Amino acid sequence: MKVETPLLVPVLAALPVCACMAILGLPAFGHGHAAAFRTLYFLACLAWLMPLALLQRAMWRREWSWPRMALVLLLASYAMSLLNNLLGQRLAISLGLDKGYDWAGLFRGLDGCWLALTSFCAVHAVAAYYLSLQQARLHLAQAQAAARDAELRALRLQVHPHFLFNSLNAISALVSNQSNREARRMLACVSDFLRATLAHDGRHEHTLAEELALLDAYLEIEKARLGERLRLSMKSGPDLLDSIVPYLLLQPLVENAIRHGIAPLAAPGRLDVRVEREGARLVVEVRNDGRQPAERGNGIGLANVRERLRHLYGADQQVEAGWEPDGRFGVRIDLPLRRLEAAA
Amino acid sequence: MNMRVVVVDDEPLARLAVKLRLAQHGGVELVGEFGDGDSAYQGIAALRPDLAFVDVQMPGRTGLEVLAALPPQQRPMAILLTAYDNFALQAFDLAALDYLLKPVDDERLDEALERARQAFPYRGQGRTPPPAMPLARSFSVRVGARTVRVPVADVERIEADGDYATLHANGKTWLVRERLHTLAMQLDPREFHRVHRSTIVRLDMIAELRSLTNRDALLRLRDGSVLRASRTYMPALAEALRQLDSRLAALRE
Repeated sequence: MKVETPLLVPVLAALPVCACMAILGLPAFGHGHAAAFRTLYFLACLAWLMPLALLQRAMWRREWSWPRMALVLLLASYAMSLLNNLLGQRLAISLGLDKGYDWAGLFRGLDGCWLALTSFCAVHAVAAYYLSLQQARLHLAQAQAAARDAELRALRLQVHPHFLFNSLNAISALVSNQSNREARRMLACVSDFLRATLAHDGRHEHTLAEELALLDAYLEIEKARLGERLRLSMKSGPDLLDSIVPYLLLQPLVENAIRHGIAPLAAPGRLDVRVEREGARLVVEVRNDGRQPAERGNGIGLANVRERLRHLYGADQQVEAGWEPDGRFGVRIDLPLRRLEAAA
Repeated sequence: MNMRVVVVDDEPLARLAVKLRLAQHGGVELVGEFGDGDSAYQGIAALRPDLAFVDVQMPGRTGLEVLAALPPQQRPMAILLTAYDNFALQAFDLAALDYLLKPVDDERLDEALERARQAFPYRGQGRTPPPAMPLARSFSVRVGARTVRVPVADVERIEADGDYATLHANGKTWLVRERLHTLAMQLDPREFHRVHRSTIVRLDMIAELRSLTNRDALLRLRDGSVLRASRTYMPALAEALRQLDSRLAALRE
């Protein structure tokens, strides 16, 4: 056990032991010399606590084994008890109760002192062990949080480059085609989106208002690309703009909806984003037109979103995705509804 | 009379971008260009241009410092350019005509130039220009072979759609064959407001307005639609909403 505990710990550990000794000594008062002997033993024990505590701490620091420490402490406290008895005999001699030292008597009646010292060691060890366990638990929790944070960050970073290079590619095509006006418009849209993401402070969650604004900036790029072929609606229920959602939750879903759903269609396609409150839940829906593919493919975007939600909310979230009877593809995400004030 | 224009930016390519686009407009004459704050200050004081495109971040004096250092009667109408801005409020303190985020898109540049054109004849006379076009009461929309009139009173918002615009009225959408900024000039600024390069909304449709950390804002309209308001329009939008509120309060009394 290599944990530094504050020096207050042995002081607190000594309190119950001292209290017990004081209570046991109470009946002795009023019985002449008995009180004097009790007081001497008490003070002597108290004086021994300090070196005993330091010895215990020194052994912890060297990470000695438990049996070895127990043996050393038992021997040390036994020696201390013997010295106490010696002091007692000295007191008896000076009070004129005894003529000389009784060497055999040194080993009698050690219980009061030795028991007190060993029980102090035990209390001290338990308290220090408990504290070190708490600290280890805290470190473990911090390490887990850091690992989770790193994983979320990595998942989030998958989102950006994907669409960024797609947009740059589209701009490059517009330039080759000498569609200057469209190229400039698209550059302005990409800059808007970058400005919005750069303003983000690195948290994993933000308000629905920020999320929808980011999505709107992204959708403007897609609108510039697809023009009339993309029909959009983005709606939210009242008083939800302050609720907390994961950062860039919607962008990968919408990117999927457009790339796999609407872009391959010959006719214009609709994309509907809807956020509603259902009791204590926040429900986010993304629905798009599209043609059902022959083989089933699960997009990277959706897997990424599922993974991030699982990291953030554990079992307290739900993602459903699939083709609906009306021939549209829909993703429905169910999250706990939390407000900005509650999270802060 | 031509508007005399200077362009101030420390990057030659950025100056080129503005110059090329100015060349496509009539009625403007480029009289000078400057690559840093100090020469811009001296040049503007000497040339007395009518309009200046000014980059905010420059070595030496910033664009805002150049404008602030000029006495108000020598100060040209200013359109500020900035890449990653934190200057909106200062810009409006200096009564800048507009400010544009780089890279600048054509619509916003056209719109800023249009503002300059409207303000130009009245410059220095302390008068606000009257609207250039009469206000429209309805818009003509072609649906197949027939033409439908959509009353302006029914219009909830208008979105740019390439060179056309989409009217949202009573839950339906209509495509109008006109550019968004042409439509904007036919609308009463007390009722309709531009909130983004591609959106105009009717002010009383706004149900919720929440400002964002990047100083844009998100609007939620009464029909639940959510849209973004760009920071470059926010001060004017806030002012218009306040005036709408006080008009409504006056009506209730």
